[in-house]
Amino acid sequence: MSIRNDPVLRDKLAAEYVLGTLKGGARRRFEDLMRDDMALRRVAAAWQERLMPLAEFSGQQQARPHVWGAIERRLDLRRPHAAWQFWRGGSLAFWRTLGMASLASALLLAGVLYSTLVNVPRVDYVATLVDERAKAALLLTADRNGRELTVRLVDPAPVASDKSLQLWAVPRQGAPRSLAVLAGGGVTTLRLPDSVVGTDVAMLAVSLEPRGGSPSAGGPTGPILYKGSWAPMM
Amino acid sequence: MRDTHDIEPEQLGRWLYYAAQGDAAAFRALYDATSPKLLGYVLRILGKRELAEEALQEGFVAIWHGAATYQAHLAAPMTWMTTIVRNKALDLLRRGTHDAALDGPVFSPEIMLALQDPGATPIDALLISRDAKALAYCMSMLEGTHRQVIGLAFFHDLSHGEVARHLAMPIGTVKTWIRRSLERLKTCLVKDQQA
Repeated sequence: MSIRNDPVLRDKLAAEYVLGTLKGGARRRFEDLMRDDMALRRVAAAWQERLMPLAEFSGQQQARPHVWGAIERRLDLRRPHAAWQFWRGGSLAFWRTLGMASLASALLLAGVLYSTLVNVPRVDYVATLVDERAKAALLLTADRNGRELTVRLVDPAPVASDKSLQLWAVPRQGAPRSLAVLAGGGVTTLRLPDSVVGTDVAMLAVSLEPRGGSPSAGGPTGPILYKGSWAPMM
Repeated sequence: MRDTHDIEPEQLGRWLYYAAQGDAAAFRALYDATSPKLLGYVLRILGKRELAEEALQEGFVAIWHGAATYQAHLAAPMTWMTTIVRNKALDLLRRGTHDAALDGPVFSPEIMLALQDPGATPIDALLISRDAKALAYCMSMLEGTHRQVIGLAFFHDLSHGEVARHLAMPIGTVKTWIRRSLERLKTCLVKDQQA
């Protein structure tokens, strides 16, 4: 039976799938269908948004402290971390997910860049810094011969007047190095510091800091808004 | 005014995002903000605190490991987390003998009163999120028996046949009630969004 062209049936099955009354073989068939049918996944997701708030009708219960203790132990959460260390911490899965999206946006931007910079062929590294949804916010280009680092704000979120964006190079070992406190918008050109494009730089990141930049010598103090890494230009 | 019953989905999303990168403090904040609701929920499913806390623990371990795969465009953070914890609770339910839990109420007493008579117990005064208030309003428009059928099916993961047996009603009636109730809820929630 094909349900592809029957929106009423699709909606009914999705609703009963989320409610839980779709059982056994019918449930498995519906899950198989969803695998190849993005639109059907969306129909089911909409029913989840509608019905999952039923969970709140139960009222609240405070968990006993040992529950968090057990979670903490199982996930080994007590290892001390400096606030910024999680950037390069263990979550490879996150980077794998983000990888494809940021690669796509890097390629797209590299194309745009190439067409505008065709007369300036000395860019040899490019980095796209993306937000948590893999949307490009900053574009960095490095010219190692001319020792210039250019930062273009592509589409960053607005920053409150008492805050600044600060750009960091995060090495594989040791504390992040501040590259610049970024001005309001547009293009900023900086002198390219030593070892910013080296292989020891694991990542570039932009944090939200008090106006003027991080008050700490040890690295960023605010949340990381954007990040990315260098890709060499051919 | 913001209270802890209605933490902005954006805030939960940020914590989830940082947790995906290994930020234990953000994960703890997420746990503190959401675990009372999630435990309240799975306690109604499982009926025993020990089991409910086990489901909560399993759920949060899965949330930590799965945070990187969370897709903001498909689900609100609370919806995603509730689904994960629900599945852990239902796994435990299937492993055990679960007939006993069927007799307990699935809704809290205040919610029950508000659903029966929103005039006397205003839904707006309930300590639940905006989304849950919208759903409570729409649930209050259903007949009491229909509400009960939806609640039984959702909280105890019952089939049409099991709901019918539990309520000693024909299965055809149960199917019709569920189908109609879901249609009404959908229509009502659309209206609520536009208002």
